[in-house]
Amino acid sequence: MTALWTFLSRTQGRNRLTWVDWVSYGYLAFGFLLIFLPVCWIVLNSLKTPSQLEQQDISLLPGEYRQVARATVYGPDGRSIFIIENLPDWVLNWRTMNEEDRADQDVEGLLNGFRGDSHYALRSALGQVPLKARSLISERRLPQWLLRYPALSASAKAEFDAAGAIAGLAEEEQRLLAEFLGLDPYQANKLISQVLVSAIHPETGERTAFAVPRFDPSKPTLPARLVDNSSDRVFKIETATAHAERRIQPAFSNFIEPLAGRARAVTVNFTRCFTNSLLVTVIATIITLAINSMAAFALSKYRFRGQTFFFVFILATLMVPPTITLVGVFKAIHATGLSGSIWGVIIPGAATPAGVFLLRQYMLTIPDELLEAARMDAASEWKIYWRIMLPLALPALAALGILSIVWRWNDLILPMVAIATTKDAYTIQLCLLEFRGEHLSREHFRLAMTVFSLIPTTLVFVFLQKYITTGIANTGLK
Amino acid sequence: MADLILENLRKSFGSEEVIHGIDMSVSSGEFCVFVGPSGCGKSTLLRMIAGLEDITGGEVRIDGKTVNHIPAAQRGLAMVFQSYALYPHMSVRQNMSFGLENLRMTRPEIAGRVDEAARMLQIEALLERKPGQLSGGQRQRVAIGRAVVREPTIFLFDEPLSNLDAELRVTMRAEIADLHSRLGNTMIYVTHDQVEAMTMADKIAVLRDGIMEQFGAPLELFNLPQNRFVAGFIGSPSMNFLAGEVRAGQVALKNGAMLPLDGRFMVSEGQTIELGIRAGDLTLGSGQGVDVEISSVEQLGAESYLYCRSTLGEQITLHESGQTRARRGEKVSLRIDPDSMHLFDLQSGRSCRTG
Ligand SMILES: Nc1ncnc2c1ncn2[C@@H]1O[C@H](COP(=O)(O)OP(=O)(O)OP(=O)(O)O)[C@@H](O)[C@H]1O
Ligand SMILES: [Mg+2]
Repeated sequence: MTALWTFLSRTQGRNRLTWVDWVSYGYLAFGFLLIFLPVCWIVLNSLKTPSQLEQQDISLLPGEYRQVARATVYGPDGRSIFIIENLPDWVLNWRTMNEEDRADQDVEGLLNGFRGDSHYALRSALGQVPLKARSLISERRLPQWLLRYPALSASAKAEFDAAGAIAGLAEEEQRLLAEFLGLDPYQANKLISQVLVSAIHPETGERTAFAVPRFDPSKPTLPARLVDNSSDRVFKIETATAHAERRIQPAFSNFIEPLAGRARAVTVNFTRCFTNSLLVTVIATIITLAINSMAAFALSKYRFRGQTFFFVFILATLMVPPTITLVGVFKAIHATGLSGSIWGVIIPGAATPAGVFLLRQYMLTIPDELLEAARMDAASEWKIYWRIMLPLALPALAALGILSIVWRWNDLILPMVAIATTKDAYTIQLCLLEFRGEHLSREHFRLAMTVFSLIPTTLVFVFLQKYITTGIANTGLK
Repeated sequence: MADLILENLRKSFGSEEVIHGIDMSVSSGEFCVFVGPSGCGKSTLLRMIAGLEDITGGEVRIDGKTVNHIPAAQRGLAMVFQSYALYPHMSVRQNMSFGLENLRMTRPEIAGRVDEAARMLQIEALLERKPGQLSGGQRQRVAIGRAVVREPTIFLFDEPLSNLDAELRVTMRAEIADLHSRLGNTMIYVTHDQVEAMTMADKIAVLRDGIMEQFGAPLELFNLPQNRFVAGFIGSPSMNFLAGEVRAGQVALKNGAMLPLDGRFMVSEGQTIELGIRAGDLTLGSGQGVDVEISSVEQLGAESYLYCRSTLGEQITLHESGQTRARRGEKVSLRIDPDSMHLFDLQSGRSCRTG
């Protein structure tokens, strides 16, 4: 810590800060913020709950506004819309909860606490209608086709007399089955969460509690319903007067659930993908460094016929955009039977022209006399490579290592080409793509796992950059 | 320990020949020095012996065995490079052990040899340091140590002292000579400093433009130079040269002086020659001499050098032991001792000495 402070409080020699110091520190701080703020922002976003993300809440801190439920219930008197206050969190989060967590909740107890339309709304929202309807059908020995009835097409439905089948039941039971079967005028009841705001009532001028669909400060007015249900109307309230209360509450479950393999509606195993990516990155980087350094050694230190040709040829492949060779790569991967296994990602990219070029240029600066001295010392060519060339090229190897690791870790195209068909072989980038979800948005998992996938590359950089600097300092070639 | 024979050795880089057929034989235990001006091919020749440069023509024989096609790693020689070429990432100890490890020697044996060499070269305290943490002289010693531990049949040195300051160079020169007398190995030593060559060598090979001008013991080269180049190159200060011709059985110098000829020289009447005379063989005085003007005087206390210019503009250096009374600008006459003069044919530069 003190070391850090002496580093940061260094001046240009004099005891006072000169303008050069000011500019340097200013630039340092600016650069730091430029890089660090977006990272902070994405980390904070990854801790937001799904509903906060869905509402496109751009606030920095993860945490939700206090919520109320807005219910839409269909009944004999038509549709009624009203607000239910003070529901426990789990009711509002029900849709995104997994089975185990759902089983932990006292659904029956909650339902018993409500009467009338609120009861019906919650019963639908908590998915109790089909359960209760099925048990009722079997209990009352009603015809079995009733079970299939909701899934039938309109013409098929016409062949059954559903209303007749339930006619003899008690009123409450009739309503349950009518909701289940979707008989007129019953439709699926809805329950959605809304933001609780307090704002000036446009008519009475008093501060009142309202429910709004989204608290969007950029809009001048918000459509709002009274929380006390004293009126059915939708009011336009002034955003400027509105005030919503927020609870800071990081959703660590965004991280925990996919890592523990408990994420709902996610078909890929994140930890599996993570291991795959680690394997791909480590193996591919080792192979890359080995092959590239050998090629660079030969190109920089041996005289042989066609030397320039090979070098130019290797460099020429740099000019070809990878997208052009994509189809060829795809066919080659298939032809060699590598598709669907991580080797299909590792091998095609093992030798990189950029890496050969980088290492060769560095190795050219290593004096030939060192190799000659080693030859006089009876070293084999392999030993010269291993004991002299590689240690001396360490800074360049570290630089290439970092690049290779980042390339491999972040690569999406090659995995898509090589292993998109096999979920077991997915790398992390494919996995993140999967979180996009076709029907359900898994944005909260995606953000969290994106942040998680940044950790290895960050660590690698932190550790290897030290190698680069010490490598340069240690060559000791004065 | 081994002897070394070069036979009509040639080297071309592309179409350009830089070594034009060199014959030489160095016997076991000899200290042989290659001297010559920069670019004359000393390093190239040494590297051909080492096996680092392939051989265009001729043969290199070590202990009677032709080694032309044996790679450097297997010739069993050791080389000290001009830049020392110490492995920068290894400690001094590792630098010295590297060659022995490659020979698959056991660890205790390696440690023993390294310690012994370190003691001999007085670098024991430096064994755990990296080359970057050593001074020039210390690196030099490590480089020699790396060669010594190998116990090579032949040592090769490529201008090992050229990076050192004058004082250190003198010390190291003595140390290398000392090392040679202790180890008794054959050593080939490249330098362009003729003082180094004279003080250290058993045999000197003078090279110029890829040709060996003379090969022999230091005093032989000093006393009996075979040509004008060797005469001018060996000895400090350089030999003085005065143009002239043979007239009436005498040497008639252009500046007027006449010198008697004796049977040591084989010359013909009218032949244009150059007379060579060392600074120490000239004396101030009158008589059959050369008239000169003293252009500067160097008083070193125990000895003095007079730099003179003849009437024809030839530069002549004169050495006197003790202190001189001569003054700058003074006009004097120099006497040439006919017994110690050298004669060279002006065209070919060859010595006119018989035999
Ligand atoms: N790799 C090469 N390619 C072409 N010519 C070369 C090569 N190496 C050396 N030469 C030439 O060979 C000649 C001899 O070079 P060498 O290095 O042997 O000189 P040297 O006597 O060691 O000089 P110095 O005292 O300056 O080290 C020089 O004219 C040089 O230009
Ligand atoms: Mg040289």
